[in-house]
Amino acid sequence: MRWGMVIDLKRCIGCYGCQLSCKAEHGTPPGVFYARVLKREEGAYPTAQQLFLPVLCNHCEDAPCVEACPTGASFKWEDGIVDIDHDLCVGCRACMMACPYSNRYFNDAPQSYFEQGATEYEKARSARHPANVVMKCNFCRDRVRDGKPPACVANCPTVARTFGDLDDPQSEVSRLIKTRGGFTLHPELGTKPSVYYLPP
Amino acid sequence: MSASRAKYDQLIQDLRSELRPQREWGEGRGVFLVIGHFVVGVAAGTWLFGLLFGLREALALAFVLAAAGGAFHLAFLGRPLRALNMVRRVKTSWISRGFLGLAAFLVGAPLYLITESRAGYVLALLGMLVMMGYMGFVYTASKGIPFWSTPLHPVLYIAYALRGGIAGVLLSLVITNRLPEDPRLLLGLWILLTAAVAVLFVIELYGALTGGNPAARSSAHALLGGRLALSFYGGTLALGLVVPALFVWAGYAGQLSAGVMAAIGVASALGDFFMKYSTIRAGVHLPVWLSRA
Repeated sequence: MRWGMVIDLKRCIGCYGCQLSCKAEHGTPPGVFYARVLKREEGAYPTAQQLFLPVLCNHCEDAPCVEACPTGASFKWEDGIVDIDHDLCVGCRACMMACPYSNRYFNDAPQSYFEQGATEYEKARSARHPANVVMKCNFCRDRVRDGKPPACVANCPTVARTFGDLDDPQSEVSRLIKTRGGFTLHPELGTKPSVYYLPP
Repeated sequence: MSASRAKYDQLIQDLRSELRPQREWGEGRGVFLVIGHFVVGVAAGTWLFGLLFGLREALALAFVLAAAGGAFHLAFLGRPLRALNMVRRVKTSWISRGFLGLAAFLVGAPLYLITESRAGYVLALLGMLVMMGYMGFVYTASKGIPFWSTPLHPVLYIAYALRGGIAGVLLSLVITNRLPEDPRLLLGLWILLTAAVAVLFVIELYGALTGGNPAARSSAHALLGGRLALSFYGGTLALGLVVPALFVWAGYAGQLSAGVMAAIGVASALGDFFMKYSTIRAGVHLPVWLSRA
C-alpha cells in the first residue's frame, strides 16, 4: 500500500479551491501552505496562455527530508505518507533545505490572520500547529484513515485530483499514470514522489 | 507594519518567484546557525594545529570556541530544550552526527586538557574530525538548494576549518603573549590553505555558473553581483583575503609581532565568517516548474 495522488493539469483551472479547502481543513496559520497553486503566463497575444501547477508535499518514497531530519520527527508511515511528529521536532529546518519541492514551512510564532487576534476557529485549530516547528501536508491522514479522500481532492470542482493506492495496478491512480503518461517533478533526483501530474 | 506581517508578505513574494531564496538559515535567528558553523569549524582547526604544534593555549581556545559554537547552534533551534532528540538519527542525518561529534569533543577536550588521558585524546580527536566535516555534508545533503548540494562543499568546509585553525593558533598565541618558534611555518601554512580555499571556491562558483541549474546560477550571481556582493567582496575578499595577505607579507618581510599575528588571525577569521555567511545566504531553492508541467 502506497498512497498517491494524480493531478490532471488539463483539468486544473487555477481556482485555488485546493488551497482554500486545505486551509479550512487544517486551519494552518498564516505563512503555512500545505497546498498551493503556482501560476505562470506563457507566450504572447494572441496565443498567450495561463498555466497552473498545484503543488503539495510529494510524499517521496526516498524522502530526503526524512534522511536529513536529525530527530526522527520527519518519518514515513507504512502506507507511504510522510509526516512530522511535532513533539520531536527541534526546528532545525534541515528538512526544508533537503526538500527539493519547497513544500515545508516553519511556523516561527503563534499567528493569526486578523489584527483583532485569533478567532475561535483559529484557537480551536492552534493546538495542531505548535510554534517553532516545521509543518507540511500529510495527505489529510485523519480523513484517509476514516475512508475519505484528502480535502483538496474532495473539494476540487473540476475533479483534477485523484487519490489512491499506487501499489495497486487496478487503482484509478495507477490507470491514469499508465494511460495518460503521468510524470513526477524532478525525477532526476531519485526521490520517487507519490504525486504525479498528467500533461496539460 | 508589524514584523510578522512584513515576514508574511516577504514569504508570499518569495513563493510567487520562480527562484525562491532560502531565508531560514542566515536571516533573523538563522544568523546564529551561521555563527555556530563558523565557530565550530575554527574550533576544530585550532584543536588540530594546537595538537600538531603542542600549544595548550590553542587547545584551550578550541574548547572555548566549540562550547560557544554549541551555544549558538542551540540558540538557532526552534525548540532548543529538545536538542537531545538529535542523537536519534545518526545513521542518516549529518546534523545528528555533528551533534554527537560536538558532544564528544566537549567531553573529550577538557578531559585531555586536564588529565591528558588517552580517552580524552581519542574522544576529542574523533569529535574534531566530525566537527570539521559535518557542516559541509549537511549542505551537500540539502537537495533543495543546488548551490550547496555539490560534492565539493564538504572539502571546502574542511579547508575553511583548517584555515580557521591557523587563525585560532595565531590568536591563542597573542592572547597568551607568546611568539611562535617558527613563524614562517605558520604563515606558509596560512598561504597554502588560503590558496586551497580560493581554488576550491572558484571551482564551486564555476560549476554553479556553468552547470546549467538556474537556482545554482542565481546563487552565484547573487554573490558576484547581486544582493550579497557587498559581504562577498568586502567581507570575504577584502577583509578575509587582501588584508591578511598584506599582514602575512609584512610578517615575512619583518618580524612577526603580536599585533601582526592578531591582525592576520582576526581578519582571516572574519573573512571565513563572511564567506560562510554569503554562501549560505546565497542559497536558492530548486525551481518547481518543469518544462512538461
